[in-house]
Amino acid sequence: MKPVLEIRDLTVTLKRGGRDVPVLEHFNLSIVPGEMVALVGESGSGKTVAALSVLRLLPLGAKISGEIFLDGENIAQAGEARLRQLRGSVAGMVFQDPLAALNPSRTVASQIGEAWRVHKGGSVLAAREKAVELLGEVGIPDAAARADDFPHQFSGGMRQRVMIAMALACSPKLLIADEPTTGLDPVIARQILQLLARLRRELNLAVLFVTHDLSVVAEHADAVHVLYAGRSVEWGGAKTFFAQPRHPYSAALRGAVAWLGQARLAEIPGQLPEPEARPPGCRFAPRCDYAQADCAVEYPAPVERGTTAACLYPLRNAERAGSAGVEKVVQKFAPLLEVDGLALRFGKGLPVLENLSLVIGQGECLGIVGESGSGKSSLGKAVLQMLPYAGHVLLGGQDLGGLRGAKLRAARRRMQVVFQDPRESLNPRMKIGEIIAEPLHLAGVAKPEAMRRVKALLADVGLSAALMPVYPGSVSGGQAQRVAIARALAAEPELLVLDEPTSSLDVSTQALLLNLLRGIGAKRGLSCLLISHDFAVVSYLADRIAVLRGGRVIEVNETAALLANPREAYTKALIEAAPRLQS
Amino acid sequence: MSEARAGMLLGAAVVLAGLFGPWVYHADPYAIHPAYALQAPSRHFPLGTDELGRDGLALLLAGGKATLVVSLPAAVLAFVTGLAYGLLAGLGPGWLDKVLMRLLDVVLALPSLVVLIFFASIVPLNNASLVLLLGFISWPGLARLVRNETRAQRGRDFMLAARQAGAGPFYIARVHVLRVVAPVLVVNATFLVGDTIFALSALSFLGLGLQPPQVSWGSLLQSALDIIALAPWWLIVPPGLMIFAALLAASLTGRGLLRR
Amino acid sequence: MLRRLLSSAVSIFLLVTLVFFMAHLTPGGPAFSILGQKATPESVAALNARLGLGAPLLKQYGIWWWHLLHGQLGYSYLLNRPVGALLWDYEVNTLVFYAIAICLSTMLAVLLGAAQGVWHGRWPAGVIGVFQLVFYATPPFFTAAILVLCFAVGLHWLPASGIGNPRLAHPGIGTFAAHLVLPVITVMLLTVPMLSRYFGEAVHEELGKDYVRTAQAKGVGFAGILFRHVMRNALRPLVTMLGLSFPYIFTGGVIVESVFNYPGLGWLLWRSALGRDYPVLIAIVLLIGLLTVLGNLLADLVNGWLDPRGQYE
Repeated sequence: MKPVLEIRDLTVTLKRGGRDVPVLEHFNLSIVPGEMVALVGESGSGKTVAALSVLRLLPLGAKISGEIFLDGENIAQAGEARLRQLRGSVAGMVFQDPLAALNPSRTVASQIGEAWRVHKGGSVLAAREKAVELLGEVGIPDAAARADDFPHQFSGGMRQRVMIAMALACSPKLLIADEPTTGLDPVIARQILQLLARLRRELNLAVLFVTHDLSVVAEHADAVHVLYAGRSVEWGGAKTFFAQPRHPYSAALRGAVAWLGQARLAEIPGQLPEPEARPPGCRFAPRCDYAQADCAVEYPAPVERGTTAACLYPLRNAERAGSAGVEKVVQKFAPLLEVDGLALRFGKGLPVLENLSLVIGQGECLGIVGESGSGKSSLGKAVLQMLPYAGHVLLGGQDLGGLRGAKLRAARRRMQVVFQDPRESLNPRMKIGEIIAEPLHLAGVAKPEAMRRVKALLADVGLSAALMPVYPGSVSGGQAQRVAIARALAAEPELLVLDEPTSSLDVSTQALLLNLLRGIGAKRGLSCLLISHDFAVVSYLADRIAVLRGGRVIEVNETAALLANPREAYTKALIEAAPRLQS
Repeated sequence: MSEARAGMLLGAAVVLAGLFGPWVYHADPYAIHPAYALQAPSRHFPLGTDELGRDGLALLLAGGKATLVVSLPAAVLAFVTGLAYGLLAGLGPGWLDKVLMRLLDVVLALPSLVVLIFFASIVPLNNASLVLLLGFISWPGLARLVRNETRAQRGRDFMLAARQAGAGPFYIARVHVLRVVAPVLVVNATFLVGDTIFALSALSFLGLGLQPPQVSWGSLLQSALDIIALAPWWLIVPPGLMIFAALLAASLTGRGLLRR
Repeated sequence: MLRRLLSSAVSIFLLVTLVFFMAHLTPGGPAFSILGQKATPESVAALNARLGLGAPLLKQYGIWWWHLLHGQLGYSYLLNRPVGALLWDYEVNTLVFYAIAICLSTMLAVLLGAAQGVWHGRWPAGVIGVFQLVFYATPPFFTAAILVLCFAVGLHWLPASGIGNPRLAHPGIGTFAAHLVLPVITVMLLTVPMLSRYFGEAVHEELGKDYVRTAQAKGVGFAGILFRHVMRNALRPLVTMLGLSFPYIFTGGVIVESVFNYPGLGWLLWRSALGRDYPVLIAIVLLIGLLTVLGNLLADLVNGWLDPRGQYE
């Protein structure tokens, strides 16, 4: 079959600080009609640049070399006028974050209609009819009535459907989807994936699916293409790939994903090299467990064995990359935190939490799973005494409800928190050393002693003491989150509330952090309240899981039992939406 | 050279000329020489003379000193007032914020020059009263900014984390809020200096600022404008350029600092 | 929307109260307003003596509102006319002048700002940036003086000042227009730098947003993106800014009107301040405050129409 898209030896450079920096090099890819290719890579891998160059939507100052055959025509050097004709008609594009990607001040029908009119002409009225038809096709209920609504009036999932309808307006042969499910709740993300799969079948559409998350595409992709630091490291059929990745990086990436029910997560040490400072030879070599001296000499030629991997020492069967994680031990606990009849609402609005009761044992990790809006973050804040609530929260038998002043401060200190976004939770104008020392300083610990403990804490979370005089703005997201954990530990809490601690991080960083948290929990006998929308993450850390929906706990059970035997249909749907490996 | 540095250099030059110029150029600004009235710049009078035959350059320097002596303290006063008001609203309880902001809205609905003109017509005009007047009328903009910045910082995760570690409200205000808001404060303090210089010059231009025989840049422009039919460009351009330089310095410095 | 109206009403109420207290600070006190058209310095003194310092503030406040609601704003002893009628004449002049100046300013600001946003980082934007920086720092009285020096005194192209009251003297439209040229240019040189910079930044910011890339991916050309997508979204902050900058524009207006002797509210304010004509001063302060509140309300209404999300505060 003739490919819809064929990219040959594509190299893209972007202007960065006045210099041309290569962000994607010698990239090859081809997609035939009806095929879905997953382009996978962590941030900085060049995957989005690859996707944008298909329609030449690169930012100003980008330079490309190589060939891009779109429906048989090389568009690598095509003029702007020709590109405009091709954009939207031969290939459509769907972006991450549909709220930002749609114009906030125009109705969805007018935006979809515009895509149609740009290429096919016709009246505004005809375009609106077409838009309504498309909205129905992508599964917007009552499309005719919703067509004149504005983007903000739709939910996240529905907005992404609107984006897809817009991309499909002129029946393109290729759909490029750049992280279309990132930021959506797992259940909604799964529905979007199913929609894409259906459209692909019905319209014989070729789909280029760009994502940082291998788990998203395991179910639907025909082929997988992994990028690392601007180079392809491995590509081939999805089944073969997931059964046995050959390149140590893709194998490690696969191992680092928190698949459902996984006993241990693999870690990838080190960090992605900056585009200006890429090592010669194999770019992954400095972080690779299998690297030999010759790996650093020149970029390895691709070798085909099942999949194709650009590696001198591809993995053989049943080999797993990455160092081992930490095993989880199941045990019984005496109660530490008791939540009884907790209720919470903002102003006169709908109740966020209703009559909610929970117990966390000494040294136990309780996972709270729920979609956004289920009230899980509010639960965490209420427990931490950050929000006013009705009902009782008891810590070690003491009711925290009526506490004021110094007593309240003392109670708060016994419970520490790690937030989702470390950029937000660290004061950008305080040095890392000051940040970790803050709880010690507030507790009246003398300075030399505090410095000594800060160093020990940094070591505990796997950071160097050299970071102490550094501002959080100049460290990576993963490192910043470790600093936040170190600060939480500095107060020597009995309970640690983890509010989506890994969801703003890349997969490999997430694995490192989850293992760190598991180790810390075990070593210190710390109790945890882990809040997440990701069932797999929760099941990796938690001893027990509570499922939250509409402000109520609908189901609580030991992790293994809950996974094996969910009682509620909603729990079942959440589990099904979690990433899993076909065995 | 960065914008901020250019602005600071220009500002320093204006301040130096204004405050210390009279020490270098000794001519008496108030000495009248009717025989030399309205002379164009010459070797003897570098910036010409006015209609009374007073030395233009000496007047310019005296006017600068008078302008700066009033507007710089006024800017400090406005800064302190605005900062205190803004912090009170930003960190205080919700009801206090509502009340203070509502009042501020009303005050901001009145153009500051209009309020200035109103009060200037009531109080006796001298250096001290003008400092108080300018200081107490130029702060609302800064107060709103401080309040908005503070409110925006409130409830950020790092403050919640500090509170969880046992920090009280004053500790959080001092360490977390002020440190994060500080750069914005510096920038707006700079703008405030420009504002007070402009306001004083405008008042003096309208005859409601510094009173004769004291001269200021604004009043020099006004008296030159009275005889504009005679086209005394040497009396118009220098004071105008000085005010322009002062405002440009403030705006360059502020903008430059804002980009950091 | 109802909430917005209500909030404006509260603002107006507070404004009137504030101005009442300001009136208390004047030598005559609110007695001027209480006496209305019959006020002379002598009768004011008599009334003050009768009410004495012990007169209940609340009662005076009530009388103040009563007179306001009946349009009795006092009597100008400087111009020998009731303040209400006086203000009306001058306000018409001011509104004509401002309408022209603000319309032209906005058009020019949109043009320059759009150019600046589109060419961001290249030389045309740099040139516009220098223009903005220079004229933002130029005080309006200096601009006016230079303009008069060049075009009135030097070249004799345009009259410098002294239109008189066009409602009274009935000048021809040509004369009137000629007298407006320099004042309008002065106001424009004051407002355009601020407005165009603001709009330019908004356009640049909107051009960098994701929905622009989406439109590009649909095959929409640059003109389509600019006019059908970006402009409308960038206008929103400009409208807010226009509403908020009314006091700023009026500040410039006071100076411009006094330099060019244009008989508007600003000129009247200035003359009244010099002549210590307090009833007129108080009335103008109140009127300017009301106009500002209404200006902000208008900006909100326009924005509500421009932005369906209604995320304006």
